[in-house]
Amino acid sequence: MHKEKGQYAVWTNALTKTYAGRAVVSNLDMRVKEGAIYGFIGRNGAGKSTTLKMLCGLAKPAGGEIRLFGKPVSDPMTARRTGCLIESAGVCPGMTARQNVTMKAKCMGLTEKDCVEHVLKATGLSEAGTKKVKNFSMGMKQRLGIALALLGNPDLLILDEPINGLDPEGIREVRRLLLELNEEGKTLVISSHILGELSKIATHYGIIKEGNLIEQPSREELEKKCTDYFQVEVEDAKRALALIMEQARGVQTEVFDSRVIRLYGLKEGAWLNQLLGENQIPVYASGFHHMDLEEYFLNRMDGEKERGGERHV
Amino acid sequence: MFNILRMELYRMARSKSVYICLGILAAVSILAFWFTFLLITPSGQEMAVKMGMLDFSELEEGRELLQSSDLLGMFREIGMDGGFFCFLTGVLAALFLGGDFQNGFIKNIMTHYRERWKYIAGKVAAMGILNGVFLAVEFLFVAVLNALSGNMFAFSAWSSILFYMAWAWLIVTAFSSLTILVCVLTRSVAAGVLASVLFGGGIVVSLLASFTSLFHAAGWISYTLYFNLGNGPSVYLGPGDLKIFGIGLAFLAVYSGTAVYWLRRQDI
Repeated sequence: MHKEKGQYAVWTNALTKTYAGRAVVSNLDMRVKEGAIYGFIGRNGAGKSTTLKMLCGLAKPAGGEIRLFGKPVSDPMTARRTGCLIESAGVCPGMTARQNVTMKAKCMGLTEKDCVEHVLKATGLSEAGTKKVKNFSMGMKQRLGIALALLGNPDLLILDEPINGLDPEGIREVRRLLLELNEEGKTLVISSHILGELSKIATHYGIIKEGNLIEQPSREELEKKCTDYFQVEVEDAKRALALIMEQARGVQTEVFDSRVIRLYGLKEGAWLNQLLGENQIPVYASGFHHMDLEEYFLNRMDGEKERGGERHV
Repeated sequence: MFNILRMELYRMARSKSVYICLGILAAVSILAFWFTFLLITPSGQEMAVKMGMLDFSELEEGRELLQSSDLLGMFREIGMDGGFFCFLTGVLAALFLGGDFQNGFIKNIMTHYRERWKYIAGKVAAMGILNGVFLAVEFLFVAVLNALSGNMFAFSAWSSILFYMAWAWLIVTAFSSLTILVCVLTRSVAAGVLASVLFGGGIVVSLLASFTSLFHAAGWISYTLYFNLGNGPSVYLGPGDLKIFGIGLAFLAVYSGTAVYWLRRQDI
């Protein structure tokens, strides 16, 4: 059991947090392997930030256990191995970026002068180091937040919405930085609403819904689940569906908005267009699509019916 | 704790608010010495009467009052006894601690420190150092002004100055820890500033004392920080004068301990 815990940078067991008697995080068993980039996904209010706060020691769990690198989260050594950016970058607006980083370095007891310059350089803030933070854009503040999290060269980075407010160039720079940090062997736990961006770097995912961790697939597992499908938009979906069910038995289908039909496990679609045409069912659009993370996430969050979909086999 | 103290001193040294508060203390001292000059010196009196600021009966009264005072007495009158000094340092405590909560910098500290008492201890220690520096600078300033104005007040005995500074520092630091407690409870700079006005300015104590005196039960006032700050001894006459240290320490321990207790219970 302890050996298993040791393999993980983050290991939680039945982690629970309640506010006013209501569970906002419930029996969470999170597993983040060392060296992974763990994309933590969930709707607003799903319990992402609360979970990350508990991992950082900012919030106390109502129940359960947290281990970071096999040690309890209350252990001061785990704090030294962890860098955090939770919600917004907590910075003193009246001070410069360099002063903010220096302050945290002093607070951590870091004595090497290079460490401040190193994190400013890594986050692209060397030039802006003398500028007061109150004059920073949202993106620059986020970068400063990452710089503060990087101080002390932590093994685990917990980043809550790190690319919030960044422009496309900034997002690309942060993505590159996060990948570099991961290549150095650091484990990253990242929550983000920008799922497309997250899917470019995450090696593992955790999907949280109403405080429950409903799935923790690896990238490979998720890719298998994000199957290709053939989508056809027709005038009369009801008739078309009946026809398809008759002609293509065993193919899984979904109907959206009474016009769109999705067919899973179909290898070729030309025959379907032909079939519908022969039966005088006008086809407005058709083609193969690949389900991306966003689509998969929405499927897991909403279920098909909420989005107007109905599944048939 | 020492690292938090280092951080705090670094921040204080670069904070405009510290220099603004020192400037305010300096301005108040200059103003006080200007009025003293008008009251005591013949040329000042002439000027005051010409300007219609005073009549001769007031002049006599003021002169008597001031001539019985020494440098330490003047120092106490300027900012200490009325609670102005406590108010200013309380505002600084509110800015430095409440600010951590308001701008979120506390998250950077607390993700690194699992023992939250170190945060409070570091802050109280930093305020203690700031209060010590402020007391010394303010006294120095008053002494320089006194010298520039031709030594209007006799220099106090060093033993008195050191004795007074020691307990005043403790009482002021206990006041700072009260502001720290209010900021921890409310996470607000404004609440900390308000607490500095209400407690440092003696408003709360005065109101409570007025109310309890209706029931002939206002004896507790002699155990308050505000009362002791204004009425504490300037000269050490015997062990009874050490009571003030006990009062200061007790309040410092209670306020800081409550702040630690509360911070440990709460999520950040």
